[in-house]
Amino acid sequence: MFDWKSIAAAGAVALTLAPGAEAKTEIELYFPVPVEGKLASEMKTLIERFNTEHPEIEVTPVYTGSYDETAIKTRAAIKAGNPPGAVIMSANFILEYQINGEIEALDPFIAADGLTNEAFMDTFWPALHRNAAFGGHVWAVPFHNSTPLLYINAEHFRAAGLDPENPPATWAEFTEAARKLTVTENGQTTRWGFMLPGNYDYLGWMMTALAMSNGGEYYNPYYGGEVYYDQPSMLGAVTFVDDLVHTHKVMPEGVTDGKAVSTAFFAGQASMVALSTGSLSFIRENMTQDYRVAFMPRNLRNAVAIGGASLMMPKGLSDEKKAAAWELMGWLTSPEIAGHWSRFTGYFAPNKGAYDLPEMKDFLAQNPDARVALDQLAYAQPWFATYNTVAVRKALEDEVQAVLSGRKTPAEAVAAAQAGADSLMAPYVAQTALNLPK
Amino acid sequence: MIHERSLSVQDAALPRARTAARAARRAPGLRALALLAPTLAFLLLFTYWPILASLVQSVRIETFGSTETTTGLGNFVRLWEDAGFRRALVNNAVYAAGTIGPGIALALALAVGLQEATGFNTALRSVVFFPVMIPLVAAAALFSFVFLPGIGLIDHYLGKLGAAQVNWLGNPDIALFSLIGLTIWKNAGYYMLFFLAGLQAIPQDLYEAARIEGAGGWARFRRVTLPLLGPTFAFVFVIALINAVTQIDHVVVLTKGGPSDSTNLLLFYIYQQAHENYDHGKAAAATVVTLALLLSLSVLSLRTLERGTHYES
Repeated sequence: MFDWKSIAAAGAVALTLAPGAEAKTEIELYFPVPVEGKLASEMKTLIERFNTEHPEIEVTPVYTGSYDETAIKTRAAIKAGNPPGAVIMSANFILEYQINGEIEALDPFIAADGLTNEAFMDTFWPALHRNAAFGGHVWAVPFHNSTPLLYINAEHFRAAGLDPENPPATWAEFTEAARKLTVTENGQTTRWGFMLPGNYDYLGWMMTALAMSNGGEYYNPYYGGEVYYDQPSMLGAVTFVDDLVHTHKVMPEGVTDGKAVSTAFFAGQASMVALSTGSLSFIRENMTQDYRVAFMPRNLRNAVAIGGASLMMPKGLSDEKKAAAWELMGWLTSPEIAGHWSRFTGYFAPNKGAYDLPEMKDFLAQNPDARVALDQLAYAQPWFATYNTVAVRKALEDEVQAVLSGRKTPAEAVAAAQAGADSLMAPYVAQTALNLPK
Repeated sequence: MIHERSLSVQDAALPRARTAARAARRAPGLRALALLAPTLAFLLLFTYWPILASLVQSVRIETFGSTETTTGLGNFVRLWEDAGFRRALVNNAVYAAGTIGPGIALALALAVGLQEATGFNTALRSVVFFPVMIPLVAAAALFSFVFLPGIGLIDHYLGKLGAAQVNWLGNPDIALFSLIGLTIWKNAGYYMLFFLAGLQAIPQDLYEAARIEGAGGWARFRRVTLPLLGPTFAFVFVIALINAVTQIDHVVVLTKGGPSDSTNLLLFYIYQQAHENYDHGKAAAATVVTLALLLSLSVLSLRTLERGTHYES
């Protein structure tokens, strides 16, 4: 029945192999795929390469859905006592993990590599620092990042007597261009001058960009219990959007989903759209008409918030796993790998060193749109991160959506948004800024 | 009905194994328990235990920055004070009314229309049934293109008729009704199946008798078909009600409850409280309220509908 000899032989082989297999440190990497494209399969290829180059480590990549789903799954894994070695986490969620005491400070690993925290963060673009390093510690390593970007249809520009090489830079020029680009037939608009993604998540990010371009701050980057929704900078930004819809009629009423915005741009039904730089490769591959990209227009200053994700390390790992996770984090954010991922996706590489490599210089020479996205980074600001980030963001988004739909005035909307956000942050504020000596 | 059926199964099993029966008489609970064990284990693990855990969580009050908890009804008070919850409750009521009534009417019309088993009808039935086979999440992904303003399938053809663009999912006055339309399209074929089965069970001689007494088509439908479909109505109503509360894939895929919470339904509200706001107390309270509503509505509807039901003997 059984061939005892071969079973014994197999056992012997297993025994001799066992020590080697045990010595391998096994960790998981949770990764989300937030934009369109073949990102998941590319991530698997990258990790296979890491495992080949690091025989002592075995990383299993686990696809965890969107940014929000990744946060849910990570929290569940931490609660269950079986955390992944590293997670690619939406950069503005890092603060909440730190507030809840769920992630490791990376200072000891940085020190072991012979670097100070400042020297380590200095390898990344300055705009990315605050979402990764705060409260005197480094909590995350930037992995891929984005900013909002203005995409314009060059053919529509030329037809409307505008110069696509000289895109609108201010809100005034922008409104004027949008008016000229809007096409109306028999009382119906057949082409919109501008479209803005109005769905949750995207809208909050775009309103940050507009409030910041209007001189504002959106939130307190030093303290997670404050937002500035009812301040003049935000009121101006919301009024600007309201005017584009209801006064100038260059933007459709109601909420337009980010996917509907890119589809309308491809179909030539929107002449200017604001979308993430993370969509750059997707637009480049699918846009059949001539297009350009430009900075988000400004009222008082050029400013956008960053987006994207960073690598973080949950608490509750053994020392071996921590070391393996740190190795993986360093490898994924190295100039070579970060540059490769950037060219593949359209996100920019957080590691400044990536742009000194010859492949990257060639790529930027061939793709001037990627160059514009990179140049805007000089004006980028940290991304809003508060206690209860998603709900606090939604408090503003619901109100701006009401303005887009013509249901509320901008003044009513920002007041309601501030009240909503304040009540959401109240438990945290009570324990921090209002927790005073008795 | 369910009780009767399970009794008859036991009766049939008894003479077959007398020794087993005698053993069972000695320990009547034991064999039943052994037979029930697998199902019971899963029910306990995945139904009763979560219900119990939700109940416990709903009365546990946690404060940020402290590990101490107290017990009370504070979560329910906060829930009722939350305009978002009341909005979700109203939305869900509109959604249920909008999907159940028209959905059942359409399903019944389809079943009556496609009752005769001709080749053409069978083909039509398959067409009507087709949406049932698509998972709701896939259907929603499909409809994200159908609903695209200006470019989507609906606006494309409406535009040819000269109608203006409609922002199907981005207008807070329309979005919920777009989701209702999608749900009716998705579920009508499923409910049609039950009505087809119900129609098969109506004896033909009743129709013949009605015809002899001079009843016209409408009278036959109203006096024979409708009353005898009573149990089917009760069943389909409860299924549709449960669907209206538990099936929210399209909300997740298409609107995330927006714009401005206009398509937020109870289950998605619970998800938001638990996973976006980390307010597990409020999420549990909302779960308990939703379950209580669903349970009482189901019991109520089954009771009232069955009371007026004519069973054939």
